[in-house]
This record gives sequence, structure tokens and C-alpha cells, in this order.
Amino acid sequence: MAAFLIFLVILGLSVGLLSSWRRNRKLVAQARSTTQVQVDERTNELERANEDLKRDQAELRRRWQYLAEAQRLSHAGTFGWKVPSGELVWSDETYRILGFTRETNPTLDLVFDRVHPDDLDRVRQLSDRAAQNGMDLDVEHRILLPDGVIKYVHGVAHAGKDSSGNLEYMGVVTDITERKRAEEEREALSRSLQESKARLEEAQSVAHVGYWDWDLETGEIIWSDETYRIFGFKPQECRMDIETVRGLVHPDDREALYSTVDEEVAVGVHPVHQHRIVRPSGEVRNVQSITSKLWKTTAVGPEDGISREHNRLFGTVQDITELKRAKEASHALSRDLQESKDWLEEAQRVAHLGYWVWELETNQVIWSEETYRIFGLVPKGDSFDVALVGEMMHPDDREAVFMTAKKAIDTGTRADCEHRLFRPDGEMRVVHSLGDVRKNSQGRIQMFGTTQDITDRKLAEQALRQSQFYLSEGERLAHIGSWASTDLGIRWSEDLNIYWSDEVYKIFGFDPKNGTPSLQQFLSAVHPQDQASLTATMKKLHEEHCGCDVTNRIIRPDGEIRYVRCVGIPVVEDGVFKGYRGTTMDVTEQELLTQELRREQAYLAEAQRLTHTGSWAANFVTGQNFHLSDETVRMHGFDPSEEAIPFERFFNTVHTEDQPAVRAALENATRTGTDYDIEYRIRRADDGEIRFFRSLGHHHPSGEMAGYVGTTMDITEQKHAAQERERLRQIEADLAHINRINMMGELAAALAHEIKQPISASITSANALLRWLAHDPPDLERARAAATRIEQDGNRAADVINRLRSFYKKGAPPEREIVDVKEIIQEMIVLLSDEAVRHSITIHSEIDAETPNILADRVQLQQVFMNLMLNAIEAMKDTGGDLTIRSGLNTEGQLLISISDTGVGLPAENTERIFDAFHTTKPQGTGMGLAITRSIMESHGGRIWATANHGAGATFHFTLPVEAEAHA
Amino acid sequence: MKSAAGPTVFIIDDDRSMRQAIQDLVESVGLRAEAFATGQDFLRKQPTSDPSCLVLDVRLPQMSGLDLQRQLADTGVQIPIIFITAHGDIPMSVRALKSGAVEFLTKPFRDQDLLDAIQQALQRDSDAREQRAEIHDLQGRYQSLSAREREVMTLVVTGMLNKQIASEVGASEATVKIHRGHVMQKMQAGSAVELVRMADKLKLSPRK
Repeated sequence: MAAFLIFLVILGLSVGLLSSWRRNRKLVAQARSTTQVQVDERTNELERANEDLKRDQAELRRRWQYLAEAQRLSHAGTFGWKVPSGELVWSDETYRILGFTRETNPTLDLVFDRVHPDDLDRVRQLSDRAAQNGMDLDVEHRILLPDGVIKYVHGVAHAGKDSSGNLEYMGVVTDITERKRAEEEREALSRSLQESKARLEEAQSVAHVGYWDWDLETGEIIWSDETYRIFGFKPQECRMDIETVRGLVHPDDREALYSTVDEEVAVGVHPVHQHRIVRPSGEVRNVQSITSKLWKTTAVGPEDGISREHNRLFGTVQDITELKRAKEASHALSRDLQESKDWLEEAQRVAHLGYWVWELETNQVIWSEETYRIFGLVPKGDSFDVALVGEMMHPDDREAVFMTAKKAIDTGTRADCEHRLFRPDGEMRVVHSLGDVRKNSQGRIQMFGTTQDITDRKLAEQALRQSQFYLSEGERLAHIGSWASTDLGIRWSEDLNIYWSDEVYKIFGFDPKNGTPSLQQFLSAVHPQDQASLTATMKKLHEEHCGCDVTNRIIRPDGEIRYVRCVGIPVVEDGVFKGYRGTTMDVTEQELLTQELRREQAYLAEAQRLTHTGSWAANFVTGQNFHLSDETVRMHGFDPSEEAIPFERFFNTVHTEDQPAVRAALENATRTGTDYDIEYRIRRADDGEIRFFRSLGHHHPSGEMAGYVGTTMDITEQKHAAQERERLRQIEADLAHINRINMMGELAAALAHEIKQPISASITSANALLRWLAHDPPDLERARAAATRIEQDGNRAADVINRLRSFYKKGAPPEREIVDVKEIIQEMIVLLSDEAVRHSITIHSEIDAETPNILADRVQLQQVFMNLMLNAIEAMKDTGGDLTIRSGLNTEGQLLISISDTGVGLPAENTERIFDAFHTTKPQGTGMGLAITRSIMESHGGRIWATANHGAGATFHFTLPVEAEAHA
Repeated sequence: MKSAAGPTVFIIDDDRSMRQAIQDLVESVGLRAEAFATGQDFLRKQPTSDPSCLVLDVRLPQMSGLDLQRQLADTGVQIPIIFITAHGDIPMSVRALKSGAVEFLTKPFRDQDLLDAIQQALQRDSDAREQRAEIHDLQGRYQSLSAREREVMTLVVTGMLNKQIASEVGASEATVKIHRGHVMQKMQAGSAVELVRMADKLKLSPRK
């Protein structure tokens, strides 16, 4: 019976537990769900849960009484334990609970086997004690089943005596696992509920949420403390009823609120409303109230004791004034945020900066709109694989970019790279991407980054670099550097503070890394000869605050000498002297050029002086002299140091006789704008000496009609020389004439015989004639014969003289005419044939039929033949011989004459000397014959030379050009 | 030797007029003249036994006057020459005169000058012939001398005494005297002086 009771108790307890546990579970679930549903409603739900809990607890107390009985209904296993023998009897349920089969012989050991190791000691102790003193057993412990399952069991046993009076226990073992679990849960729940309650209270006060409970039947309203506070009361200050509450609602919201609430409650919807309330103090607050559904509760009426169903409503009210404000602020913020977002978008667009998120675990990428635009794609919302991004990159950059990303991911540092990409239309852009690795709010590893289209910037940078390069190149090419000093002029010391630009270092050959040189170092770079003047200049700058522009030599560290021009300007701000600023230029090339120019000008002036040539530029009409070289001035007898001698004075030096001609020439030239070339005499301005000038004027094409540039040369010496030459030419002509005369003389000598013979014969004949006449009687016949002979001889003589006549003519200027060479040769042969015969010389002529006519002076040509033939005769006169004249054309088409003899021949050495003037072998010779012959040849453009014959004698050859027409 | 009709003047001049004129002149004074154009023509002519002279122009073709003179000398023809020339060349005249010309005249010459020269030349030729004849005679006589006699003669004309000659010759004085006598005889010398003169004429060179 006791066991049954115990059983019932246990059952009841279990049932009670179960049901209350179930109820609790429901409540908890509800509380949970309510808490869940309501982000803002959480506190309301908690309040309700708390209410439920309170009610349940009341219920729980009532049910306990039933538990005692209800427990019996549960499955409990019974057992009997005979202590002395240790015999055990188990019911089916006991077997089941302990996890043995019915066939197993129950022993204590088996029981102990099942006992959880952790509880074993306790159980053993208890059983031992029980075995000793026979007290009631009541133990809970765990059992550990073979399959590892742990159960909780409750063993209750009452000690009694058996029929033998031995100690015997009878008991029940109940599987209370579920109950235990439930208990534990309940405990936990209770704890959590307690906590929740505490938190609820806390939450209420923090969240300004209060709850209320309205019994619709009684009109009773229960408020939580917070609700009082919200409405501006002190907690539990007074009892509430619906009228009071209604009154607290803001008049404007009252009607709307209550009508709506009624409707919704009827429908079964959780009314959630926001409305204003007016506190007693007059302060208006915003609240949100949430009303539950209608609850039905049973309550015992206080008057009549009848339990009735009451409709209850409960709910929460939350002071959302701050929340509202916050919401409004947040809306405003949200608006601002949206606006900011829009601006951000805009900014992104403007800055060409897009952002992206790369989920590293999934390799998915999300892009902002701008990022799409940068890549030339249409903005989409969804993510895509990062490989697509890689494909759009420039192939050469791809690897580097992903390596940079990998490094950033591995080391957690920022990824930073520039790379190129290709838009779908093929356009290439340059972008700058930055990325940070981080975990997002959900713990996923991402890389968040930005990509900026820097193409334009890159181009601009490039352009800038280029122009910077050009600029620095320009500076370098122009060798101009800049410097500045704030000390110079204010504070003088060894280390004057001077700033040098890079180019200045370069000019001086210093290393910028060594910093600005000290004054000492700077001066030591200056050429020793220039140091003093530069130091003086600097001192002057320092003391007088003036500007400077000086050029000095410096010696570079490598020993090279350069010319450096330094220009300094004082800096004055608001009337206050602040220092110096300036440029330094390497003007070596200019300086050397200038020096060279000056040298060349000096050479030119010297050359002019030496050649007596002066240069000038003038305008004849205005009488303006633009340029007069020193020599021009000097040669006219003026002083070069005199300033601006006018054109008129120059003109006045012209010899009076020549002035008209000069004036005419200049006028003509200026009128026609042509060049002129005139010669005239001047009378020097200083000593009156007469000089010959030649002036060449070139019309200067500058547009000015009378602008001329030219040279004037003192040709006095040349003139004299020309006059001298003329004189000499005259002498030469006279000499030629003399030579001809001489030759004539020679010819005459040669012909003397020709003449003497007939004349001598005539005289002798005349003598004979006289003697014949002196006979007694005179021999008239013989006399007549003699007279006849005289006549003949006279004529003969006359002939010879006639032949000589042509040589009488005094040398007129050489006249060139077409001459028949063959004819002249014939003449000569005839002329000299008697002479030749006389000397036993035979004349042979080999005249080629092609012997051309030539353009020559007949007399001179005759002179040549005469000279050569007489010479040939002369060479052979003692021995006789052959005189051969050959004429024809040579291989070059020139006339070739050869006159050869078999006489004494040429001198062995210096054959050419025979053509020299005054070279003669004849006692009465002038030595001019061959010289003049050669001169005649040369004047005709021919050549003459002599060769020795293989045999005896010599041959004289000469050539003359054959002219087709007469030359002017 | 052909006998001509008196002294002859030979004229050689290449100028015909001149030849004729001179011939005419010579004949006008009664002398005989023969004219030739060239030297060769003259050389071909037979020599005459009468005194003659030669009027010769220096300037002749082929063989000049001087050459002819030389050639005549070479062949032993000793005919006096009168040179005439159109040139008045001093060296030539000197050379001509040196080589034995009688006169050197330049044309035109005075007729009298020529005639005088001709006379002179003829005379010379005559004298020369005489002399030649004389020498020829002497030579004949000399030829008749024996070698020894010649030897003696050579020494006698040096003025040597017989005694000296004897020692010189290596003979006795008596022998020498004999030879001397023969010499005198054969030579037809009247005296030693005459002998000397003969020796001179014969141009005997003393033995040294």
C-alpha cells in the first residue's frame, strides 16, 4: 500500500510536474516568441510572461496536492530486498528501469553495476547504513546503462520485518529521468525567468516600457512601476482605472486610438499604437502601446465566490518620446545618410573612384556603380566571380595584382597597386586599387577596397613629367641656375646662407649632396685672376644693396675653365630689404664666341689695313653712313677716331677731274638700283697725296633705293704697276722690233751677198767698161756687153731689196689674220735659197697637204721662220748641210712645224737655255732671237722646243693652235 | 805642162755676173782669164806652165774657197790666190792671208786693187816658178850626192871645220875633205857660203 501510495505520489508528482512543466514550457515558449517577435515589443512580452509565471506558480501550488496521488499512476518499479540474504526481488518495471532482462538474477552487485560511478560511493554508503539500522531508504542517483544512457532513478524503500523477523526492505524505484530533466529545466527556466524578471524590470526601466493589466469586467487596471513613471506618476502612486487612463491620453489622439484599438482587439490583432499622452505636469510624451489579445481568466468573484471568466487585456506602454525624436533624427540622419550616399555616389563618379567587396571565401565580388562604370560595364546589383575581374585586367598586370592581393591577405596589410584594364570596347584605362582585409559583421573574411580610374591623372602626370623634363632640359641646355640668399646684404659671414638650384651645382661641378659651399669653397672655385674682382662685387652687393651683372671665370673640379655670368637682384618687400635673388648662367660658349668674334673683327680690320681695302655702307641720297671701317676712314686721309664723318666729306676727296664721272656713276647706280664698279683718283684729306681708288658698290636689298654696301680699294700700287707693265710692254714691243731689225740685219747680212754680188759685179763691169773705152780704139762691143751686165745686175739687186721690204715695217700692234702657212714657208725658202746655196746648204721642204691655215700675226710668223731658218743656216755655214722644213698637223690637231739642220747641234746640257734672252753663240748676236721667237709662240698659244737629231744637227719644233674662226 | 799664151788669171765665183765682170776686167788690161763656177771645175783643169793666179770667192757651194786653198796646198799646187768675198770677215781674212793668200778683197772692190793684186800674184807665181825650178835643179844635184857626201854637206853648212866633221862622222879629215870637194862640185857651189845658201834652199836640217 505504501508503495502504491508512494507510487501515486510519485505519479502525481510526475504528472503534476509534467503538466506544470508542460505549461511552463508553453509559457516560456510564448514568452520567447513574444520576445522574439518584438524588437521593440520584447519588453511587453516579458511582462506578460511574468504574469503567466505568477499565475502558474499559484497553480503549481494547487497541483502539488494532486501530485502526491498522481505519482502513483506512473511507472514505478518495485523491489524487495532481504537484507541478511541479500536477496532481491524486482518487478518488471524495475528490470526495465535498470536495463536488465527478466531472466537476470537480481543482485546488489548488479544494481551497483548500474549505478553511475560518480554516485556509487554515496549509494553504497546508504545501502550499507540501511542494511545496518533498517531506516527508510530514499535515494536518488543516476544509473549508467550499458549503452551509455544515463537515467535518473529514485529509490524509496521502507524497512520492515519479514515473517522471520529479518530486516526486509520494500521499495519503489522510479525512473525520474524525465522529471529530473524537467526539474533541471524548470530550475533553469526558473533561474532564467528570475533573470528575465530582473532583466524585465531593468529593461522596463531602461527602455521606459511599462506594462498594464486591465480586467475588463472589473475595470481594474494594474500598472507596473515603469508605467506609472511613464505617465508621470510615482510608482504605484494611485490606483488606476480606465477613465483616468483615457484622460491621460492626449485629447487629439484619444478617439482615434480607442476606436481603433476596439476594432483590432475584436479582430484579434495585436494593436500597436503610438499616441501622445499628457503628464500631470503638462509635459507631452510620445508613447507606444501594445495591446494583447483578449485573455480569458477565471476569477472568483469576491462578493459571491463564483468563479467567472474575466476578459483581460494587457499590454505594454513605452515612452518613445526619445525614441521618436531619435527616429526622427535617425530619419533625418537616414535622409542625410541617403543624401550622403548620393553624394558619395556622385563623389565616386566625379573622382572615378568605385569601391568593391571581395568575399575571399567565396571569391565573389560586389561592385559599386562607379566600379562598373570604371570597367565600362553596366551597373548590376549581384555579385560575380573575381576571375571575371582578372580577365578584364591587362594580361601583363594580372599576375602582379593578384600577388599583391595575396600578400595583403597573408600579411593583413593594405593592398596597393596600379594596373591597367581593358574596357569591353577595347579602351585601356589605368586604375589604382587599394584593398583592406577584414572580417565583416558576420565574421566572413573580405577584402574591401577602392578602385580609382587614374588614366587621366596618369596622362596628366605624364604630360607634367614631360613638361617638367622639358623645363629641366631647358634649364640644363640653357645652363641657367637660380640662387637666392637671405644673408647677403644683411649678415656677412663665412657660411653665407645661399640657396643653389641643381643647375648651379652642375655649372660649378659641385655635388648637391655636399650642400651649399661655404664662401671660401665658392671663391676657391673662381679663377685666381677673377677672385679679387668677384669678392669686391660681393662686398659691393652686401654694402650697397645694388644689383649686379658680372661674368667671371670659374675652374671646375675637373680643371675645366668656364665663364659664368651671375645676375643678382635685391629683394625688397614693403620697402624692407630682404636679401638677394639671381641667376647663374654658364656663358662659356657665348663668351668664347664673343672673343672669337672680336678676334675676327680685329683680323678683318688688320686685313683691311694690309690690303688697303675699306668696307662701308651708306645711303648716297641722304648722305648717311651706316658703317665705315677704320681702313675706309684712314685711306681717305681721315682720322679713325673721328666720329661720324659725313658722306660729303668723302666725296670731296675725289680728284676734281674725276668728280663728274664719279657723281654720274653713283647717280646712275642709285637710279637703276644696280651695282657699280668705278676707278678714280682722290686727294688724301691729310697730306693731299693723290691715290688711285677702285670702289665697288652693291645695292643693298633692304628696300632703301640709295642704300649701298661695298668696298673701296687703294689701287695706287696696282695702277703704278700697270703703268710699269705698259711701259715694259712697250719696251718689249720695241725690243721685238729691235729684234726684227736685228734679224733684218742678219737677213740683210744674209742677203748682203745677194745684193753685193750684183752690185759688185756692176762695179767691176763698170770698171771693165771704162777700160774698154780707154782702149785705143775703144772696144765698144765689149763696153756695151759690160753695160748690159750692169743693168741686169742692178735689177737683180733691186729685187733682193724688195724682198726685204716687208721686214722694214716697224712693229704695229700684232694683227691676227688667217695665215696660209704653206705660203709663208715658200716665201721664206725663196728668200733664203741663195744664202743656203752659198753655204752649200740644201733646203728640203716636206709640206703636208693638211697643213692648216692659222690665226696669227703674219709679220711675227715670218719673224719666227726667219729666225729659225737663219739659225739653221748659221749652224751649217761652215760645213754645208741640209735644211729641212716640215709642216703638218700633230696628234692634237695643232699645226706642227719642224726646222732641222745638220749643223753643229745643240749644247749638251740645259738645252732650254738657248731660248733665254741674251743667250747667244754668235759674236754679233743679240741673243734675243730665240727668246723673242718663244715669246711670239707663246702669245699665239703655241709651244717651241728643240731636239738634237740622231745624226748631226738639231731640229726646232713649234706648234700653233688651229683656230677655226678668228677670235675677238 | 801645157804652154799657154802668157800669164793667166783663173777666176772662180759662183755668181755668173761676177765671173763675167771680173773676166772682162782682166781681159781689159790685156791679161788672159779663165772663169770657173766651182772649185772642182778648176781642179779638173790641167795645170799650166805659165805664171797664173787665182781669183777666188771665199763663199762657194760645196767646196769653199778656203777648202780649195787647202786642197791645192795638199796637192802641191802653189798658185797664188786672191780672195774676194761679199763678207768682210776679219778672222776669215786673217786665216786666208795666213794660209798664203796674196790678197783678200771685199766686194765691191776697186778694180785697181784687184788688178794690182793680180799683178802681184802673177809676179809671185813667176818668182815662185823660178824658185821652184831652181830648187828642182838643186835637188837634182843633191840627189847625186852620196849619203856620206850629204852627211858631210849637212855638217859643213853648220860651219864646222873639217876636223870637227871628221870626228863627228867618224872619218878622217882627209876623207872629209874629199867628200867636201865632191859636194862642192856636185852642188856647183862656188863657195861654202853658196853651199850654205843651197842647203837653206834645200832645207836641210842639221844632224843633232
